[in-house]
Amino acid sequence: MIAATVVLAAARADFLERVRRYSFLFTLGLALYFGYMATVGRLTLRIGDSRGIYNSAWIGGLLAVVGSTFISLAGFYFVKNTLQRDTETRVGQILAATPISRFAYILGKFTSNFAVLASMIGILALSSIVMQLVSAEDMHIHLWKLLSPFLLLSLPAMAVVAALAIVFETIPFLRGGFGNVAYFFLWTAILIAPILGNSPLFDLGGLFILRQSIIASGAAPQAENSFSLSIDSGQFKAASTFRWEGIPWTAETLFTRLLLCAVALLLCVLAATLFDRFDPARGYRVLRASPTPALPVTVSIPIASPAPTTKLSPLVTKAQRFRFPAVLAAELRLLFKGQRWWWYSIAAGLVLAQALVPKPDARGMVLAFAWIWPILLWSSMGVREQRHQTHQILFAAPHPLARQLPAVWLAGVLLAVVTGSGFALRLLLDRNLPGLFAWTVGALFIPTAALFLGVWSSSSKPFEILYTLLWYIGPMHAMPAFDFMGSSPATATTHYPLYYLAFTAILFVLAIAGRKRQLLI
Amino acid sequence: MKLSIRSLSKKYSGNVWGLLDCNLELNTGVLGLLGPNGAGKSTLMRILATVTRPSSGSIRWNDLDMLSSPDPLRAVLGYLPQDFGVYPHLTAYEFLAYLAAVKGLDGPAARRRIEELLSVVNLSDARNRPLGGFSGGMRQRVGIAQALLNDPQLLIVDEPTAGLDPEERVRFRNLLSELSGERIVILSTHIVSDVEAVATDIAILSHGRLLSHASPEALLASINGKVWEVLLPSADLPALQQRHLVSSVAHRTDGVHARVVADSAPFPNSSPLEPSLEDAYLATIAAGRATQAGAAA
Repeated sequence: MIAATVVLAAARADFLERVRRYSFLFTLGLALYFGYMATVGRLTLRIGDSRGIYNSAWIGGLLAVVGSTFISLAGFYFVKNTLQRDTETRVGQILAATPISRFAYILGKFTSNFAVLASMIGILALSSIVMQLVSAEDMHIHLWKLLSPFLLLSLPAMAVVAALAIVFETIPFLRGGFGNVAYFFLWTAILIAPILGNSPLFDLGGLFILRQSIIASGAAPQAENSFSLSIDSGQFKAASTFRWEGIPWTAETLFTRLLLCAVALLLCVLAATLFDRFDPARGYRVLRASPTPALPVTVSIPIASPAPTTKLSPLVTKAQRFRFPAVLAAELRLLFKGQRWWWYSIAAGLVLAQALVPKPDARGMVLAFAWIWPILLWSSMGVREQRHQTHQILFAAPHPLARQLPAVWLAGVLLAVVTGSGFALRLLLDRNLPGLFAWTVGALFIPTAALFLGVWSSSSKPFEILYTLLWYIGPMHAMPAFDFMGSSPATATTHYPLYYLAFTAILFVLAIAGRKRQLLI
Repeated sequence: MKLSIRSLSKKYSGNVWGLLDCNLELNTGVLGLLGPNGAGKSTLMRILATVTRPSSGSIRWNDLDMLSSPDPLRAVLGYLPQDFGVYPHLTAYEFLAYLAAVKGLDGPAARRRIEELLSVVNLSDARNRPLGGFSGGMRQRVGIAQALLNDPQLLIVDEPTAGLDPEERVRFRNLLSELSGERIVILSTHIVSDVEAVATDIAILSHGRLLSHASPEALLASINGKVWEVLLPSADLPALQQRHLVSSVAHRTDGVHARVVADSAPFPNSSPLEPSLEDAYLATIAAGRATQAGAAA
């Protein structure tokens, strides 16, 4: 009983802290926007060239799947900071000194994560009533058919996401930016796994169950071969519609959803096992111990001895010239500091591969990998000062806008130039100037976007998430509109590099404006 | 060298005044800034360090308006914030070299200065260790070193001795005394003994208002003849504390020896004492609180 009270108290405090943040409203707004897109026919669930009539079952099923798919990605990033916050605020050390058990603490955090994600699903569910009325194809509201997909498809998915976020926070190498990038690929894998495996087990988003139920209903005969959830600009006009009456909640279907809840609970147990209870002597919070003995060595001073004194000579050169190379060198040192030998080895290997791979398409793919490899270095741009609380010192230095910010940006550009140099060399040798232009735009765009997002969000997360998403859609799928780095030979022949250059210039100006706002004066 | 602060105010959201109509005129020397928690000390220091913009008022550095053009002041400013961080993967030397570059220090001069500062703050032996492994006191000393990198004319140090062991505290106080001759030093603390040791002027803030700005001698003189020692049974202490300002208490075999600040002797057997700076500080705060309560009533 006491444990339950503790868990709920911990969850309540955490929940309130989160839902009072603007980022909660932002994520919620995005979820509602996707819901709206689905209602106005821009986010469609297509079965061949037909779709279901917008009745309670179809709207509920569609929005629940959209919600659980979208919130399982964005929501994860929103909630994956609960242990981090307790570490940073040092509340964790206070909590660690209380009798709360590791499992109770983790369960409290899981409950809070789940409550936040469930409240997003809840609001989407409530809005689905309005959306059915707005679509006006079937004005009869059937509450169970409308809300049961949210309850039985989305909420178990949210439980897994809530638990996964905690697991990621308890594993040292998944806590930071690497975990953010890794989750994106895990999320992609989880979404397609049920389709590939043709099994409803671990169908996180519920899309497979929805598809199976539509096939089983016989309402759309071609559903087995053509079924897709896609975003378009509204050109899709369904050739026909059909009436679908919802998912029949069989014992087997309910079992698969309960299984997800069990998985969530198991993940919590795993997280509790891994959780270091804020012990600074464990995990990544402490850097590797120095071989030298700890300092300072306390020396007892006899009472009669004079107090220690110090003399500081005046600084001979008071002239403070603008030494951009020195600041740039310092920023470069800061950017690369902490990287191990294997990081450099892989980066060098990728540069070499860019220069040696003969086929342009394959070479473009290598460039894409070479420019995702330093993502965690770029994502620290514009954020480092706040994260390490050095901003007050740096911003009190002369000309912080003119001296430090350009150096941070140029260090990021140099990183892109060096890590993508093999590709550029081949373009030079081939005298492919349009390709070289597209590559240059990419080398400018990446650090500028990182700086812009870092300065305005004070967090490395937005860049890590958005960049990975853009990288996955653009360079990895050779879509010229999203190929910001010119990795595909086709991109250089389009106007897109020019658009990205203009976009880069805008982002750069906005980054300066953002830093100016941080300076306050 | 002159720093003039006129009618400086800072209003936070929720109609909370962090600083209200503050006026100060500073010349070379050490200004000890005293006040209880939330008095507005850090707000004033952040404004003077050009990190926070005031809601109203003006600040002039050698007759130059530093609100409209802060960079001339930043060039001669050394600032140690109350809460600051370090880059954990950099060594002490690398961190200072980075800040020296940002502050525009010349290469060889910067290197010499960093070596000297590391020696002054007693970190020469730890110069090549990553800052992530430093103790709180060691990080504080790195903070002190960075504030002195550019040999500042205006040195602002917010709670600089927090986390330092007694020996390092003495060392820092000595350093501050030595530095004070040719610059303006503003030292914020709630440790009265730190101020007592080095300050040439003392400003007392409470609830965002400047209650007093005077030399330590003048401050002491203001309560001359108003500090008493009272001997009483320990059971009577709570009643005494309700009626008078008790600045310290010592339990001895003959009873409780209480140090009381009062206009007249609290009891016939009270004996007058030499006032201390702590007595003066507490008396000023109490008087300020009474004035505010009177104004509110």
